[in-house]
Amino acid sequence: MSLDLDKLRALFDLLAEKDVAEFEHEEEGIRLRIARGARAPIAAPAALIPSPIHPVATPAAAALAETPPPSGDFVDVTSPFVGSFYRSPSPDAPAFVDVGSVVRAGQTLCIIEAMKLMNEIEAECAGTIAEIFAQNGKSVEYGQKLFRIKKA
Amino acid sequence: MFKKILIANRGEIALRILRACRELGVKTVAVHSEADARALHVRFADEAVCIGPPPASKSYLNVPAIISAAEITAADAIHPGYGFLSENAEFARICGKCGITFIGPTPEAMRAWGDKVTARKNAAKFGLPLLAGSAVLESAEHAIREAKRIGYPVILKASGGGGGRGMRIVRSDAEMPDAFASARREAETGFKNPDVYCEKFVERPRHIEFQAFADKHGGVWTLGERECSLQRRHQKVIEEAPSPAMTAKKRQEMAEVIRKAIRETGYTSLGTLEFLMDEKEELYFLEMNTRVQVEHPVTEMVTGLDLVSLQIRAAAGENIDLPDTRPWSFRGHAIECRINAEDPKTFAPWPGLITEWHPPGGTGLRVDSGVYGGWRVPPDYDSLLAKVIAHAPTRKEAIARMRRALDEFIVAGIRTNIALHKALLDDHEVAQGTMTTRTIERITGRG
Repeated sequence: MSLDLDKLRALFDLLAEKDVAEFEHEEEGIRLRIARGARAPIAAPAALIPSPIHPVATPAAAALAETPPPSGDFVDVTSPFVGSFYRSPSPDAPAFVDVGSVVRAGQTLCIIEAMKLMNEIEAECAGTIAEIFAQNGKSVEYGQKLFRIKKA
Repeated sequence: MFKKILIANRGEIALRILRACRELGVKTVAVHSEADARALHVRFADEAVCIGPPPASKSYLNVPAIISAAEITAADAIHPGYGFLSENAEFARICGKCGITFIGPTPEAMRAWGDKVTARKNAAKFGLPLLAGSAVLESAEHAIREAKRIGYPVILKASGGGGGRGMRIVRSDAEMPDAFASARREAETGFKNPDVYCEKFVERPRHIEFQAFADKHGGVWTLGERECSLQRRHQKVIEEAPSPAMTAKKRQEMAEVIRKAIRETGYTSLGTLEFLMDEKEELYFLEMNTRVQVEHPVTEMVTGLDLVSLQIRAAAGENIDLPDTRPWSFRGHAIECRINAEDPKTFAPWPGLITEWHPPGGTGLRVDSGVYGGWRVPPDYDSLLAKVIAHAPTRKEAIARMRRALDEFIVAGIRTNIALHKALLDDHEVAQGTMTTRTIERITGRG
Protein backbone atom coordinates (compact mmCIF):
# COMPACT_ATOMS: atom_id res chain seq x y z
CA MET A 1 0.00 0.00 0.00
CA SER A 2 1.52 3.31 -0.94
CA LEU A 3 1.18 6.16 1.49
CA ASP A 4 -1.38 8.48 -0.03
CA LEU A 5 -1.94 11.57 2.12
CA ASP A 6 -5.62 11.77 1.20
CA LYS A 7 -6.11 8.17 2.19
CA LEU A 8 -4.19 8.77 5.43
CA ARG A 9 -6.34 11.77 6.25
CA ALA A 10 -9.47 9.71 5.68
CA LEU A 11 -8.02 6.97 7.87
CA PHE A 12 -7.30 9.37 10.73
CA ASP A 13 -10.79 10.78 10.51
CA LEU A 14 -12.20 7.30 10.67
CA LEU A 15 -10.08 6.38 13.67
CA ALA A 16 -11.10 9.53 15.46
CA GLU A 17 -14.76 9.04 14.61
CA LYS A 18 -14.72 5.52 15.99
CA ASP A 19 -12.46 6.57 18.87
CA VAL A 20 -9.82 3.99 18.06
CA ALA A 21 -6.76 4.51 20.27
CA GLU A 22 -4.26 2.41 18.34
CA PHE A 23 -4.17 1.11 14.79
CA GLU A 24 -1.62 -1.11 13.10
CA HIS A 25 -1.51 -2.36 9.52
CA GLU A 26 1.11 -4.31 7.59
CA GLU A 27 1.14 -4.86 3.85
CA GLU A 28 3.87 -5.59 1.34
CA GLY A 29 6.72 -4.90 3.68
CA ILE A 30 5.37 -1.64 5.01
CA ARG A 31 4.05 -1.37 8.54
CA LEU A 32 1.92 1.54 9.65
CA ARG A 33 1.18 2.18 13.30
CA ILE A 34 -0.97 4.98 14.57
CA ALA A 35 -1.40 5.72 18.26
CA ARG A 36 -3.88 8.43 19.11
CA GLY A 37 -2.88 10.52 22.12
CA ALA A 38 -5.13 13.08 23.83
CA ARG A 39 -4.39 15.62 21.12
CA ALA A 40 -1.82 14.36 18.60
CA PRO A 41 -3.43 11.81 16.29
CA ILE A 42 -0.24 10.59 14.69
CA ALA A 43 2.75 8.87 16.19
CA ALA A 44 5.70 6.77 15.04
CA PRO A 45 6.82 8.14 11.70
CA ALA A 46 9.39 5.37 11.93
CA ALA A 47 6.56 2.98 11.14
CA LEU A 48 7.22 3.69 7.48
CA ILE A 49 10.33 1.49 7.59
CA PRO A 50 9.69 -1.80 5.84
CA SER A 51 9.11 -4.51 8.43
CA PRO A 52 12.01 -6.84 9.21
CA ILE A 53 11.95 -10.07 7.28
CA HIS A 54 10.49 -12.96 9.21
CA PRO A 55 10.92 -15.57 6.58
CA VAL A 56 9.56 -19.03 7.12
CA ALA A 57 9.99 -21.14 4.07
CA THR A 58 6.82 -23.04 3.31
CA PRO A 59 7.44 -26.80 3.52
CA ALA A 60 7.79 -28.12 0.01
CA ALA A 61 5.12 -30.71 0.69
CA ALA A 62 2.59 -28.05 1.61
CA ALA A 63 2.95 -25.90 -1.48
CA LEU A 64 0.31 -23.25 -1.97
CA ALA A 65 -2.53 -24.36 -4.18
CA GLU A 66 -1.61 -23.03 -7.59
CA THR A 67 -3.68 -22.37 -10.62
CA PRO A 68 -2.33 -24.51 -13.42
CA PRO A 69 -1.25 -22.54 -16.48
CA PRO A 70 -4.30 -21.86 -18.62
CA SER A 71 -4.21 -22.83 -22.25
CA GLY A 72 -2.31 -20.41 -24.38
CA ASP A 73 1.26 -19.34 -24.35
CA PHE A 74 2.17 -18.90 -20.72
CA VAL A 75 5.51 -19.38 -19.07
CA ASP A 76 6.23 -19.49 -15.33
CA VAL A 77 9.34 -17.79 -13.99
CA THR A 78 10.80 -19.84 -11.15
CA SER A 79 13.44 -18.91 -8.62
CA PRO A 80 16.97 -20.07 -9.46
CA PHE A 81 18.13 -19.41 -5.89
CA VAL A 82 17.20 -19.75 -2.27
CA GLY A 83 16.75 -16.27 -0.84
CA SER A 84 14.45 -13.36 -0.17
CA PHE A 85 12.18 -12.03 -2.92
CA TYR A 86 11.87 -8.30 -3.49
CA ARG A 87 9.60 -6.64 -6.03
CA SER A 88 11.45 -3.33 -6.09
CA PRO A 89 15.10 -2.26 -6.24
CA SER A 90 14.77 -0.58 -2.84
CA PRO A 91 12.10 -0.33 -0.14
CA ASP A 92 10.71 3.03 -1.22
CA ALA A 93 11.07 2.53 -4.97
CA PRO A 94 8.20 1.34 -7.13
CA ALA A 95 8.01 -2.34 -8.06
CA PHE A 96 9.92 -3.49 -11.16
CA VAL A 97 6.71 -4.91 -12.61
CA ASP A 98 3.04 -5.31 -11.72
CA VAL A 99 0.30 -7.49 -13.07
CA GLY A 100 -0.35 -6.20 -16.54
CA SER A 101 3.17 -4.84 -17.09
CA VAL A 102 4.52 -5.43 -20.55
CA VAL A 103 8.04 -6.83 -20.37
CA ARG A 104 10.74 -7.46 -22.94
CA ALA A 105 13.24 -10.31 -22.86
CA GLY A 106 16.02 -9.49 -20.43
CA GLN A 107 13.99 -7.03 -18.41
CA THR A 108 14.48 -7.18 -14.65
CA LEU A 109 11.40 -8.60 -12.91
CA CYS A 110 12.57 -8.78 -9.31
CA ILE A 111 15.51 -9.19 -6.97
CA ILE A 112 16.35 -12.32 -5.04
CA GLU A 113 18.69 -11.59 -2.18
CA ALA A 114 20.95 -14.50 -1.26
CA MET A 115 23.81 -14.20 1.20
CA LYS A 116 23.78 -10.40 1.14
CA LEU A 117 24.01 -10.32 -2.66
CA MET A 118 21.19 -8.85 -4.74
CA ASN A 119 20.52 -10.97 -7.81
CA GLU A 120 18.35 -9.48 -10.54
CA ILE A 121 16.01 -12.00 -12.13
CA GLU A 122 15.28 -11.27 -15.76
CA ALA A 123 12.44 -12.24 -18.05
CA GLU A 124 13.50 -14.88 -20.57
CA CYS A 125 10.90 -13.81 -23.08
CA ALA A 126 8.78 -10.82 -23.99
CA GLY A 127 5.18 -10.66 -22.81
CA THR A 128 2.77 -9.43 -20.16
CA ILE A 129 2.83 -10.23 -16.44
CA ALA A 130 -0.28 -12.34 -15.89
CA GLU A 131 0.23 -13.30 -12.25
CA ILE A 132 2.64 -12.66 -9.39
CA PHE A 133 2.96 -15.67 -7.07
CA ALA A 134 5.68 -14.71 -4.63
CA GLN A 135 5.22 -12.21 -1.85
CA ASN A 136 7.45 -9.21 -1.43
CA GLY A 137 9.97 -9.64 1.36
CA LYS A 138 9.20 -13.34 1.83
CA SER A 139 11.75 -16.08 1.35
CA VAL A 140 11.68 -18.31 -1.70
CA GLU A 141 13.23 -21.68 -2.40
CA TYR A 142 14.81 -23.10 -5.54
CA GLY A 143 12.19 -23.72 -8.19
CA GLN A 144 9.47 -21.72 -6.48
CA LYS A 145 7.08 -19.97 -8.89
CA LEU A 146 7.55 -16.19 -8.98
CA PHE A 147 5.68 -14.83 -12.03
CA ARG A 148 3.49 -16.05 -14.84
CA ILE A 149 4.12 -14.32 -18.14
CA LYS A 150 1.76 -14.40 -21.08
CA LYS A 151 4.07 -14.62 -24.04
CA ALA A 152 3.93 -11.82 -26.54
CA MET B 1 21.23 -25.88 23.03
CA PHE B 2 20.57 -24.75 19.48
CA LYS B 3 17.14 -23.43 18.57
CA LYS B 4 17.15 -24.70 15.02
CA ILE B 5 19.41 -27.10 13.12
CA LEU B 6 19.59 -27.23 9.35
CA ILE B 7 20.21 -30.77 8.10
CA ALA B 8 22.53 -30.54 5.09
CA ASN B 9 22.10 -34.08 3.87
CA ARG B 10 19.52 -36.57 2.65
CA GLY B 11 18.29 -40.12 2.99
CA GLU B 12 18.70 -42.21 6.09
CA ILE B 13 21.27 -39.99 7.81
CA ALA B 14 19.08 -36.93 7.43
CA LEU B 15 16.28 -38.79 9.18
CA ARG B 16 18.76 -39.98 11.82
CA ILE B 17 19.80 -36.40 12.55
CA LEU B 18 16.18 -35.24 12.58
CA ARG B 19 15.34 -37.85 15.19
CA ALA B 20 18.15 -36.68 17.48
CA CYS B 21 17.04 -33.06 17.04
CA ARG B 22 13.45 -33.97 17.89
CA GLU B 23 14.48 -35.70 21.08
CA LEU B 24 16.58 -32.70 22.07
CA GLY B 25 13.69 -30.31 21.44
CA VAL B 26 15.50 -28.58 18.59
CA LYS B 27 13.60 -27.35 15.52
CA THR B 28 14.66 -28.76 12.17
CA VAL B 29 15.12 -27.42 8.66
CA ALA B 30 15.41 -29.94 5.84
CA VAL B 31 17.15 -28.69 2.72
CA HIS B 32 16.56 -30.90 -0.28
CA SER B 33 16.89 -31.20 -4.02
CA GLU B 34 13.84 -31.44 -6.28
CA ALA B 35 14.29 -35.22 -6.34
CA ASP B 36 13.81 -35.41 -2.57
CA ALA B 37 10.76 -33.15 -2.20
CA ARG B 38 8.75 -36.11 -0.83
CA ALA B 39 11.54 -37.61 1.27
CA LEU B 40 10.57 -38.79 4.72
CA HIS B 41 12.76 -36.38 6.66
CA VAL B 42 11.53 -33.48 4.50
CA ARG B 43 7.97 -34.34 5.44
CA PHE B 44 8.82 -34.65 9.13
CA ALA B 45 10.97 -31.52 9.40
CA ASP B 46 9.55 -28.32 10.87
CA GLU B 47 10.61 -26.42 7.75
CA ALA B 48 11.87 -27.45 4.34
CA VAL B 49 13.68 -25.52 1.65
CA CYS B 50 14.28 -26.74 -1.87
CA ILE B 51 17.85 -25.80 -2.70
CA GLY B 52 18.31 -27.02 -6.25
CA PRO B 53 17.78 -29.58 -9.00
CA PRO B 54 18.69 -33.25 -8.43
CA PRO B 55 22.44 -33.17 -9.22
CA ALA B 56 24.40 -33.05 -5.96
CA SER B 57 26.73 -30.34 -7.28
CA LYS B 58 23.71 -28.05 -7.66
CA SER B 59 22.00 -29.02 -4.42
CA TYR B 60 23.63 -30.95 -1.56
CA LEU B 61 27.07 -29.60 -2.48
CA ASN B 62 25.75 -26.12 -3.27
CA VAL B 63 27.26 -24.07 -0.45
CA PRO B 64 25.59 -20.71 -1.25
CA ALA B 65 22.17 -22.34 -1.48
CA ILE B 66 22.63 -24.13 1.84
CA ILE B 67 23.95 -21.05 3.65
CA SER B 68 21.15 -18.97 2.13
CA ALA B 69 18.61 -21.50 3.38
CA ALA B 70 20.12 -21.27 6.86
CA GLU B 71 19.86 -17.49 6.73
CA ILE B 72 16.26 -17.31 5.62
CA THR B 73 15.18 -19.85 8.24
CA ALA B 74 17.42 -18.36 10.95
CA ALA B 75 19.00 -21.74 11.67
CA ASP B 76 21.79 -21.44 14.22
CA ALA B 77 23.57 -24.69 13.38
CA ILE B 78 24.12 -27.02 10.43
CA HIS B 79 24.60 -30.77 10.69
CA PRO B 80 26.44 -32.02 7.59
CA GLY B 81 25.86 -35.76 8.12
CA TYR B 82 28.39 -37.90 6.22
CA GLY B 83 29.63 -37.52 2.65
CA PHE B 84 28.70 -34.30 0.80
CA LEU B 85 30.12 -31.33 2.76
CA SER B 86 30.80 -33.14 6.02
CA GLU B 87 34.59 -33.19 5.57
CA ASN B 88 34.83 -29.89 3.71
CA ALA B 89 36.89 -27.59 5.92
CA GLU B 90 36.10 -24.62 3.69
CA PHE B 91 32.37 -25.15 4.23
CA ALA B 92 32.94 -25.38 7.98
CA ARG B 93 34.88 -22.11 7.82
CA ILE B 94 32.10 -20.39 5.87
CA CYS B 95 29.52 -21.53 8.42
CA GLY B 96 31.64 -19.99 11.16
CA LYS B 97 31.96 -16.71 9.27
CA CYS B 98 28.18 -16.59 8.84
CA GLY B 99 27.61 -17.10 12.54
CA ILE B 100 26.28 -20.65 12.07
CA THR B 101 27.70 -23.49 14.17
CA PHE B 102 29.04 -26.34 12.04
CA ILE B 103 28.31 -29.56 13.94
CA GLY B 104 31.66 -31.22 13.68
CA PRO B 105 35.31 -30.40 14.38
CA THR B 106 36.94 -27.03 13.72
CA PRO B 107 38.14 -26.29 10.16
CA GLU B 108 41.73 -26.50 11.43
CA ALA B 109 41.19 -29.94 12.98
CA MET B 110 39.46 -31.12 9.78
CA ARG B 111 42.42 -29.96 7.70
CA ALA B 112 45.00 -31.44 10.04
CA TRP B 113 43.43 -34.89 10.19
CA GLY B 114 41.82 -34.88 6.75
CA ASP B 115 45.08 -34.42 4.91
CA LYS B 116 46.83 -37.80 4.54
CA VAL B 117 50.35 -36.41 5.05
CA THR B 118 49.63 -34.36 8.20
CA ALA B 119 47.41 -37.14 9.56
CA ARG B 120 50.31 -39.57 9.28
CA LYS B 121 52.60 -37.01 10.96
CA ASN B 122 50.12 -36.67 13.81
CA ALA B 123 49.80 -40.42 14.06
CA ALA B 124 53.56 -40.89 14.23
CA LYS B 125 53.95 -38.08 16.77
CA PHE B 126 51.48 -39.74 19.13
CA GLY B 127 52.75 -43.25 18.70
CA LEU B 128 50.01 -44.57 16.46
CA PRO B 129 51.55 -47.38 14.45
CA LEU B 130 52.02 -46.65 10.74
CA LEU B 131 52.61 -48.90 7.80
CA ALA B 132 56.26 -48.66 6.83
CA GLY B 133 56.50 -46.32 3.89
CA SER B 134 58.85 -44.18 1.88
CA ALA B 135 59.01 -40.58 0.81
CA VAL B 136 58.52 -39.69 -2.86
CA LEU B 137 60.57 -42.09 -5.02
CA GLU B 138 63.15 -40.55 -7.32
CA SER B 139 63.88 -43.55 -9.51
CA ALA B 140 63.30 -47.26 -9.96
CA GLU B 141 66.59 -47.93 -8.12
CA HIS B 142 65.46 -45.77 -5.22
CA ALA B 143 62.17 -47.68 -5.23
CA ILE B 144 64.00 -51.00 -5.08
CA ARG B 145 66.15 -49.79 -2.14
CA GLU B 146 63.07 -48.65 -0.24
CA ALA B 147 61.19 -51.85 -1.05
CA LYS B 148 64.09 -53.87 0.34
CA ARG B 149 64.08 -51.79 3.52
CA ILE B 150 60.33 -52.12 3.96
CA GLY B 151 60.11 -55.72 2.83
CA TYR B 152 58.11 -57.14 -0.10
CA PRO B 153 55.32 -57.08 -1.03
CA VAL B 154 54.98 -53.33 -1.34
CA ILE B 155 52.40 -51.13 -3.04
CA LEU B 156 53.27 -48.05 -5.09
CA LYS B 157 50.82 -45.21 -4.50
CA ALA B 158 50.35 -41.78 -6.02
CA SER B 159 50.99 -38.79 -3.73
CA GLY B 160 48.51 -36.67 -5.61
CA GLY B 161 45.40 -38.74 -5.18
CA GLY B 162 43.78 -42.05 -4.50
CA GLY B 163 40.90 -44.14 -5.78
CA GLY B 164 43.19 -46.87 -7.07
CA ARG B 165 44.91 -44.68 -9.64
CA GLY B 166 48.70 -44.87 -9.77
CA MET B 167 48.66 -47.96 -7.56
CA ARG B 168 50.78 -51.01 -8.30
CA ILE B 169 51.47 -54.04 -6.14
CA VAL B 170 55.11 -55.11 -6.42
CA ARG B 171 56.36 -58.44 -5.11
CA SER B 172 60.00 -58.47 -6.23
CA ASP B 173 62.89 -56.34 -7.51
CA ALA B 174 62.31 -57.72 -11.03
CA GLU B 175 58.79 -56.30 -11.15
CA MET B 176 59.79 -52.85 -9.89
CA PRO B 177 61.09 -50.95 -12.97
CA ASP B 178 57.94 -51.57 -15.07
CA ALA B 179 55.61 -51.03 -12.13
CA PHE B 180 57.38 -47.81 -11.18
CA ALA B 181 57.16 -46.41 -14.71
CA SER B 182 53.52 -47.28 -15.27
CA ALA B 183 52.46 -46.03 -11.81
CA ARG B 184 54.10 -42.69 -12.56
CA ARG B 185 52.41 -42.48 -15.96
CA GLU B 186 48.99 -43.19 -14.44
CA ALA B 187 49.56 -40.67 -11.63
CA GLU B 188 50.55 -38.01 -14.15
CA THR B 189 47.38 -38.55 -16.21
CA GLY B 190 45.16 -38.81 -13.17
CA PHE B 191 46.44 -36.01 -10.98
CA LYS B 192 48.95 -34.04 -13.12
CA ASN B 193 51.50 -35.20 -10.57
CA PRO B 194 53.68 -38.22 -11.32
CA ASP B 195 55.04 -38.57 -7.75
CA VAL B 196 54.68 -42.00 -6.22
CA TYR B 197 55.80 -43.43 -2.90
CA CYS B 198 55.71 -46.96 -1.64
CA GLU B 199 54.22 -48.62 1.39
CA LYS B 200 54.13 -52.10 2.89
CA PHE B 201 51.37 -54.09 1.23
CA VAL B 202 49.24 -56.29 3.41
CA GLU B 203 47.76 -59.19 1.41
CA ARG B 204 44.71 -59.95 3.47
CA PRO B 205 44.07 -57.02 5.75
CA ARG B 206 41.22 -56.54 8.15
CA HIS B 207 39.70 -53.10 8.46
CA ILE B 208 39.33 -52.00 12.08
CA GLU B 209 38.27 -48.52 13.09
CA PHE B 210 38.02 -46.77 16.45
CA GLN B 211 35.28 -44.36 17.44
CA ALA B 212 36.48 -41.23 19.22
CA PHE B 213 34.46 -38.40 20.68
CA ALA B 214 35.43 -35.13 22.35
CA ASP B 215 33.45 -32.19 23.70
CA LYS B 216 34.60 -28.55 23.83
CA HIS B 217 35.61 -28.79 27.48
CA GLY B 218 38.52 -31.19 27.25
CA GLY B 219 36.45 -34.34 27.64
CA VAL B 220 37.79 -37.09 25.35
CA TRP B 221 36.45 -40.62 25.02
CA THR B 222 37.10 -43.63 22.86
CA LEU B 223 34.01 -45.76 22.37
CA GLY B 224 35.52 -48.97 21.12
CA GLU B 225 36.11 -50.31 17.68
CA ARG B 226 34.17 -51.57 14.69
CA GLU B 227 35.27 -54.13 12.13
CA CYS B 228 34.42 -53.27 8.54
CA SER B 229 36.41 -55.87 6.61
CA LEU B 230 33.50 -56.95 4.43
CA GLN B 231 33.95 -54.45 1.61
CA ARG B 232 33.48 -54.41 -2.09
CA ARG B 233 35.61 -51.97 -4.10
CA HIS B 234 36.41 -50.03 -0.95
CA GLN B 235 32.70 -49.67 -0.07
CA LYS B 236 31.70 -51.23 3.24
CA VAL B 237 28.94 -53.82 3.05
CA ILE B 238 28.71 -55.29 6.56
CA GLU B 239 30.07 -53.81 9.78
CA GLU B 240 30.14 -55.10 13.35
CA ALA B 241 31.09 -54.19 16.90
CA PRO B 242 33.15 -55.34 18.64
CA SER B 243 35.75 -56.79 16.26
CA PRO B 244 36.26 -60.56 16.64
CA ALA B 245 39.98 -59.88 16.09
CA MET B 246 40.42 -57.47 18.99
CA THR B 247 41.48 -58.32 22.52
CA ALA B 248 40.64 -56.27 25.59
CA LYS B 249 44.35 -55.56 26.05
CA LYS B 250 44.83 -54.28 22.51
CA ARG B 251 41.66 -52.22 22.78
CA GLN B 252 42.98 -50.60 25.95
CA GLU B 253 46.37 -49.80 24.39
CA MET B 254 44.79 -48.25 21.29
CA ALA B 255 42.34 -46.28 23.41
CA GLU B 256 45.15 -44.62 25.40
CA VAL B 257 47.12 -43.66 22.33
CA ILE B 258 44.09 -42.41 20.42
CA ARG B 259 42.77 -40.39 23.36
CA LYS B 260 46.12 -38.61 23.64
CA ALA B 261 46.23 -37.83 19.91
CA ILE B 262 42.67 -36.45 19.99
CA ARG B 263 43.24 -34.38 23.09
CA GLU B 264 46.56 -32.90 22.07
CA THR B 265 45.51 -31.96 18.56
CA GLY B 266 42.46 -30.16 19.98
CA TYR B 267 40.06 -32.33 18.06
CA THR B 268 36.39 -32.09 19.03
CA SER B 269 33.15 -33.84 17.99
CA LEU B 270 32.95 -37.35 16.57
CA GLY B 271 35.86 -38.83 14.69
CA THR B 272 36.86 -42.29 13.50
CA LEU B 273 40.43 -43.53 13.15
CA GLU B 274 40.77 -46.27 10.54
CA PHE B 275 43.38 -48.99 10.77
CA LEU B 276 44.53 -51.97 8.80
CA MET B 277 45.27 -55.18 10.66
CA ASP B 278 47.78 -57.58 9.11
CA GLU B 279 48.00 -61.36 9.39
CA LYS B 280 50.09 -60.95 12.54
CA GLU B 281 47.22 -58.97 14.09
CA GLU B 282 49.28 -55.78 14.08
CA LEU B 283 47.37 -52.55 13.56
CA TYR B 284 48.48 -49.74 11.25
CA PHE B 285 46.91 -46.29 11.02
CA LEU B 286 45.40 -45.49 7.63
CA GLU B 287 43.39 -42.30 7.98
CA MET B 288 40.88 -40.41 10.08
CA ASN B 289 37.30 -39.53 9.16
CA THR B 290 36.34 -36.25 10.78
CA ARG B 291 32.58 -36.86 10.82
CA VAL B 292 29.85 -39.27 11.92
CA GLN B 293 30.11 -42.57 10.06
CA VAL B 294 27.46 -44.60 8.26
CA GLU B 295 28.06 -47.55 10.60
CA HIS B 296 27.75 -45.60 13.85
CA PRO B 297 24.66 -47.63 14.89
CA VAL B 298 26.66 -50.74 15.76
CA THR B 299 28.64 -48.70 18.30
CA GLU B 300 25.37 -47.26 19.62
CA MET B 301 23.88 -50.71 20.14
CA VAL B 302 26.80 -52.09 22.14
CA THR B 303 27.40 -48.92 24.19
CA GLY B 304 23.82 -47.77 24.65
CA LEU B 305 24.82 -44.24 23.59
CA ASP B 306 23.19 -41.87 21.08
CA LEU B 307 26.22 -40.67 19.13
CA VAL B 308 24.42 -38.08 16.99
CA SER B 309 22.80 -36.59 20.06
CA LEU B 310 26.18 -36.44 21.82
CA GLN B 311 27.65 -34.79 18.75
CA ILE B 312 24.95 -32.09 18.76
CA ARG B 313 25.22 -31.53 22.51
CA ALA B 314 29.00 -31.17 22.30
CA ALA B 315 28.69 -28.72 19.41
CA ALA B 316 26.26 -26.67 21.48
CA GLY B 317 28.98 -26.33 24.10
CA GLU B 318 27.58 -28.75 26.64
CA ASN B 319 29.97 -30.18 29.21
CA ILE B 320 29.42 -33.85 28.46
CA ASP B 321 29.40 -36.36 31.29
CA LEU B 322 30.05 -39.87 30.05
CA PRO B 323 31.14 -42.70 32.29
CA ASP B 324 34.85 -43.41 32.28
CA THR B 325 35.19 -45.74 29.31
CA ARG B 326 38.70 -46.92 30.16
CA PRO B 327 37.74 -50.30 31.55
CA TRP B 328 35.50 -50.60 28.50
CA SER B 329 33.16 -53.53 28.03
CA PHE B 330 30.47 -53.82 25.44
CA ARG B 331 26.96 -55.05 25.84
CA GLY B 332 26.55 -57.91 23.43
CA HIS B 333 27.41 -57.83 19.73
CA ALA B 334 25.96 -55.79 16.89
CA ILE B 335 26.04 -56.31 13.12
CA GLU B 336 24.92 -53.90 10.41
CA CYS B 337 23.99 -54.80 6.84
CA ARG B 338 23.87 -52.01 4.28
CA ILE B 339 20.88 -52.62 2.02
CA ASN B 340 21.51 -51.00 -1.36
CA ALA B 341 19.33 -50.52 -4.43
CA GLU B 342 21.45 -52.67 -6.72
CA ASP B 343 21.43 -55.95 -8.54
CA PRO B 344 22.76 -58.60 -6.11
CA LYS B 345 24.84 -60.28 -8.83
CA THR B 346 26.05 -57.54 -11.15
CA PHE B 347 25.96 -54.74 -8.55
CA ALA B 348 24.41 -52.45 -11.15
CA PRO B 349 22.54 -49.63 -9.37
CA TRP B 350 18.77 -50.08 -9.46
CA PRO B 351 16.86 -46.80 -9.03
CA GLY B 352 13.08 -46.80 -9.49
CA LEU B 353 9.74 -46.94 -7.73
CA ILE B 354 9.51 -49.02 -4.56
CA THR B 355 6.11 -50.70 -4.78
CA GLU B 356 6.34 -52.69 -1.55
CA TRP B 357 8.51 -52.05 1.49
CA HIS B 358 8.19 -53.95 4.72
CA PRO B 359 11.38 -53.88 6.80
CA PRO B 360 12.05 -56.42 9.59
CA GLY B 361 11.52 -55.82 13.29
CA GLY B 362 11.41 -57.71 16.53
CA THR B 363 13.77 -58.15 19.44
CA GLY B 364 17.18 -56.60 19.02
CA LEU B 365 16.46 -55.29 15.52
CA ARG B 366 16.85 -51.73 14.28
CA VAL B 367 16.32 -50.36 10.78
CA ASP B 368 17.63 -46.92 9.82
CA SER B 369 16.07 -45.92 6.53
CA GLY B 370 14.61 -42.92 4.75
CA VAL B 371 12.64 -44.86 2.16
CA TYR B 372 9.05 -46.14 2.14
CA GLY B 373 6.57 -47.94 -0.12
CA GLY B 374 5.74 -45.49 -2.90
CA TRP B 375 9.13 -43.74 -2.75
CA ARG B 376 10.93 -43.35 -6.05
CA VAL B 377 14.66 -44.01 -5.60
CA PRO B 378 16.42 -41.30 -7.61
CA PRO B 379 19.45 -42.17 -9.78
CA ASP B 380 21.41 -39.13 -8.67
CA TYR B 381 22.78 -40.30 -5.33
CA ASP B 382 24.32 -43.33 -3.64
CA SER B 383 22.30 -46.52 -3.58
CA LEU B 384 21.92 -46.95 0.19
CA LEU B 385 18.29 -47.73 1.04
CA ALA B 386 18.50 -48.91 4.61
CA LYS B 387 20.79 -50.09 7.37
CA VAL B 388 19.60 -53.18 9.20
CA ILE B 389 21.23 -53.60 12.59
CA ALA B 390 20.95 -56.76 14.69
CA HIS B 391 21.97 -56.73 18.32
CA ALA B 392 22.23 -59.85 20.50
CA PRO B 393 24.21 -61.12 23.51
CA THR B 394 26.72 -63.01 21.35
CA ARG B 395 28.08 -62.73 17.80
CA LYS B 396 26.57 -66.10 16.86
CA GLU B 397 23.12 -64.96 18.01
CA ALA B 398 23.52 -61.62 16.23
CA ILE B 399 24.23 -63.43 12.96
CA ALA B 400 21.20 -65.68 13.47
CA ARG B 401 19.08 -62.64 14.25
CA MET B 402 20.27 -60.83 11.12
CA ARG B 403 19.56 -63.90 8.99
CA ARG B 404 16.06 -64.06 10.41
CA ALA B 405 15.58 -60.34 9.79
CA LEU B 406 16.73 -60.48 6.17
CA ASP B 407 14.36 -63.40 5.54
CA GLU B 408 11.37 -61.26 6.49
CA PHE B 409 12.46 -58.12 4.61
CA ILE B 410 9.95 -57.47 1.81
CA VAL B 411 10.98 -55.19 -1.05
CA ALA B 412 9.35 -54.99 -4.47
CA GLY B 413 9.75 -52.72 -7.47
CA ILE B 414 13.53 -52.43 -7.29
CA ARG B 415 16.42 -54.84 -6.77
CA THR B 416 18.44 -54.94 -3.58
CA ASN B 417 21.59 -56.67 -2.32
CA ILE B 418 19.71 -58.63 0.35
CA ALA B 419 20.68 -61.89 -1.38
CA LEU B 420 24.36 -60.89 -1.16
CA HIS B 421 24.03 -60.28 2.58
CA LYS B 422 22.46 -63.69 3.07
CA ALA B 423 25.33 -65.32 1.16
CA LEU B 424 27.87 -63.41 3.26
CA LEU B 425 26.28 -64.45 6.55
CA ASP B 426 26.46 -68.08 5.42
CA ASP B 427 30.17 -67.89 4.56
CA HIS B 428 32.57 -69.81 6.80
CA GLU B 429 35.03 -66.90 7.16
CA VAL B 430 32.24 -64.65 8.33
CA ALA B 431 30.84 -67.28 10.69
CA GLN B 432 34.29 -67.85 12.20
CA GLY B 433 35.06 -64.13 12.36
CA THR B 434 38.19 -64.46 10.21
CA MET B 435 37.05 -62.36 7.25
CA THR B 436 39.33 -59.90 5.47
CA THR B 437 38.89 -57.20 2.85
CA ARG B 438 39.34 -59.93 0.21
CA THR B 439 36.40 -62.03 1.43
CA ILE B 440 33.65 -60.53 -0.73
CA GLU B 441 35.88 -60.78 -3.80
CA ARG B 442 36.23 -64.50 -3.17
CA ILE B 443 32.51 -65.05 -2.56
CA THR B 444 31.33 -63.13 -5.59
CA GLY B 445 34.16 -64.41 -7.75
CA ARG B 446 34.80 -60.92 -8.96
CA GLY B 447 36.40 -57.65 -7.77
